[in-house]
Amino acid sequence: MIAVRARGLVQRFGDRVVLGPLDLELAAGERLAVLGDNGAGKTTLLRLLATAARPAAGRLELLGVEATRERERLRARLGYVGHQLGLYPALTALENLEFFARLHGLGRERARPALETVGLGGVAHRRLEQLSRGQQQRLALARSVLHDPELLVLDEPDASLDAEGRDLLGALFEGRSVVMATHDLALARGLCHRALRLRAGREAGDPWGAPRAGGPSVRPREGAGPVPLPNGRAAGARALG
Amino acid sequence: MAEVPPGPTDPEGAENRRLTALAGVAVAAMLVAGWAIFVYAPQDALQGPVQRIFYLHVASAVAAFGCFAVVLLGSLAFLWRGSLVGDRLGRAAAHVGLVFTTVTFLMGVVWAKPIWNWDPTRTWDARLTSTAALWVIYAGYLLVRRLAPPGRTAMRLAAVVGVIGFVDVPVVYFSVEWWRTLHPGPVLTAPGGPAMPAPMVVAYLVTQAAVGLLCGVLVAIHYRVQARRDAALARAVAGQLELASAPEGR
Amino acid sequence: MRFAGVMLAVAAKDLRCELRGKELLPALTQFVVLSLVIAGFAFDLDASSGPRLSPGILWLVLVFAGLLAFGRTFAAERDVGSLEAMLLTPAGAPAIFAGKALGATVLLVACEAVLLPAMAVFLASPISPAVVATVLLATVGMAWLGCLFAALAAQTRARELLLPVLALPLWIPFVVVGSRAVQVAMSGGGFGAWAPAGQPYAVLLDFDILFLVVSSLAARFVLDD
Repeated sequence: MIAVRARGLVQRFGDRVVLGPLDLELAAGERLAVLGDNGAGKTTLLRLLATAARPAAGRLELLGVEATRERERLRARLGYVGHQLGLYPALTALENLEFFARLHGLGRERARPALETVGLGGVAHRRLEQLSRGQQQRLALARSVLHDPELLVLDEPDASLDAEGRDLLGALFEGRSVVMATHDLALARGLCHRALRLRAGREAGDPWGAPRAGGPSVRPREGAGPVPLPNGRAAGARALG
Repeated sequence: MAEVPPGPTDPEGAENRRLTALAGVAVAAMLVAGWAIFVYAPQDALQGPVQRIFYLHVASAVAAFGCFAVVLLGSLAFLWRGSLVGDRLGRAAAHVGLVFTTVTFLMGVVWAKPIWNWDPTRTWDARLTSTAALWVIYAGYLLVRRLAPPGRTAMRLAAVVGVIGFVDVPVVYFSVEWWRTLHPGPVLTAPGGPAMPAPMVVAYLVTQAAVGLLCGVLVAIHYRVQARRDAALARAVAGQLELASAPEGR
Repeated sequence: MRFAGVMLAVAAKDLRCELRGKELLPALTQFVVLSLVIAGFAFDLDASSGPRLSPGILWLVLVFAGLLAFGRTFAAERDVGSLEAMLLTPAGAPAIFAGKALGATVLLVACEAVLLPAMAVFLASPISPAVVATVLLATVGMAWLGCLFAALAAQTRARELLLPVLALPLWIPFVVVGSRAVQVAMSGGGFGAWAPAGQPYAVLLDFDILFLVVSSLAARFVLDD
């Protein structure tokens, strides 16, 4: 299955084209790192992939569904962490997750295990505003996988995380397709299969920052089939819990 | 989901000529209406010459309502079908409707003063307030367009205002019945038939037709200016995309 | 029933945040009491003019308290990006909006719980069950409309300016009819007076239904792209 298929994707603000035209394809279980300087269009692209914004032109298919149709059903299968946390400062960590579980139509009991997964079990009853930035970021990550999404879209998730937090990412990615923007090249190499480098809203030819044989990285891979994950398992076998 | 609007499909010259001709007809019609108001229609026995304002006042009000109906339809077309034409039409009609609402309001004030010794600081009139509210709503529509992030967001938010604002229109009309006001009851649609003699009715209809035509021409001109601006924007965007698509030596 | 579940969850969340944050409610209460005190001096109120001017003062204070409350409810979400987070779930914009509007209604009602007794004390206003019912009836419609425009204004550059411009004209019918209804109620006409004097109640109800439906339908377009 193709997790993301974009053809001629364009985004503009007023009369300024900030992204595109861009072609992109991501197979199920693949992980893509989106690299580039600030202002290159990474956040713009990620917001389009998360259905947080509509493209000005082009075709976008997410998880086999056209991105502007049935957005509510699509959003049940997507997870997103943007620049803003989107969590409530006055609520506790647990209450925040319970609330979003309710919005996803899940039982509140889902919240506690998700908290444990990101190592925040000990601060479940502390208000968000009392947590450190790194802990808040972990909570946002927990919220993004609460509903076990097939596709994760993360905008610089490593920004406030410590080393332990970054190890967490690999566990959260298991069994999912991932598009992650980051400035940390080493992290990207460690976690992702491919990279896409943006420059002024367009794909630049040197994704990992060094010339690479074999052409640009975003052409679809030859031969369909499950992508082997670093831990040896095949994609499609989604991990539970 | 390509949303780049198409460029003008008519040869510019022909369209210009058509609009100019229509504008000429509208001006001529207004002159005829002027004759109808001041020469043809008899003087009202009770209210005297001031009563002649009634024709233009009511005609403007109807024109304004018509404009806001167009705003409603355009907004609905945009929200339901993504129709850019609808959005453009709505914006044009909102501008013109605002002008006619202003005219209606000012004429109403001028008419009211000598008739009721009306002192705006003393007497409160439902229809006056509703008209002022209508004015503010459509000024709000235009403000939202200006203050919201340009593009789809501004169109979407303004369209919502256009639809909800229209709800105020029946409130204006029915306000005469709902609240005890100083506004004279509707003379044209009173149950027993028009309460005015035939020549006055004719004068009103002539004025209404002329004002309606003028209103339509203004909306058409406004629409056209906007359409050309949008086409220029589309060309600018397409230009950027072409530049971007040029082979970069990948 | 998903709609009701989401609506209640969002409203409960808003109220919980407000109870913990304690920002809006004290500010609203302070505003209400101060307004009454100022009105007392500004209108030179005494035992006879107090009750007469009460309906007007009531709606004046309510309108401005409403603007305060609704503006804040969406501004707070915008600060942390939580509105978008809510929308990126299957919950749906209509249900989320209904929850926000419900929460705002409860806040405004809490405000009224301070305002009405305060008016009875300071202005000697005759506050009867009929008055309370009228105010509640109007509050629902005003809150739904106010929230819709607050959500709209929150996405623009000049939200403090835009919210009154959009909301006040559409609140006028509520104020006019509500004022008449409160006048009737305050001069002793209870629910029994369904004759011509009873009409304002029916009109208020009609307005409520109309604007509730319209706001709910429009919510999808205002909140989400």
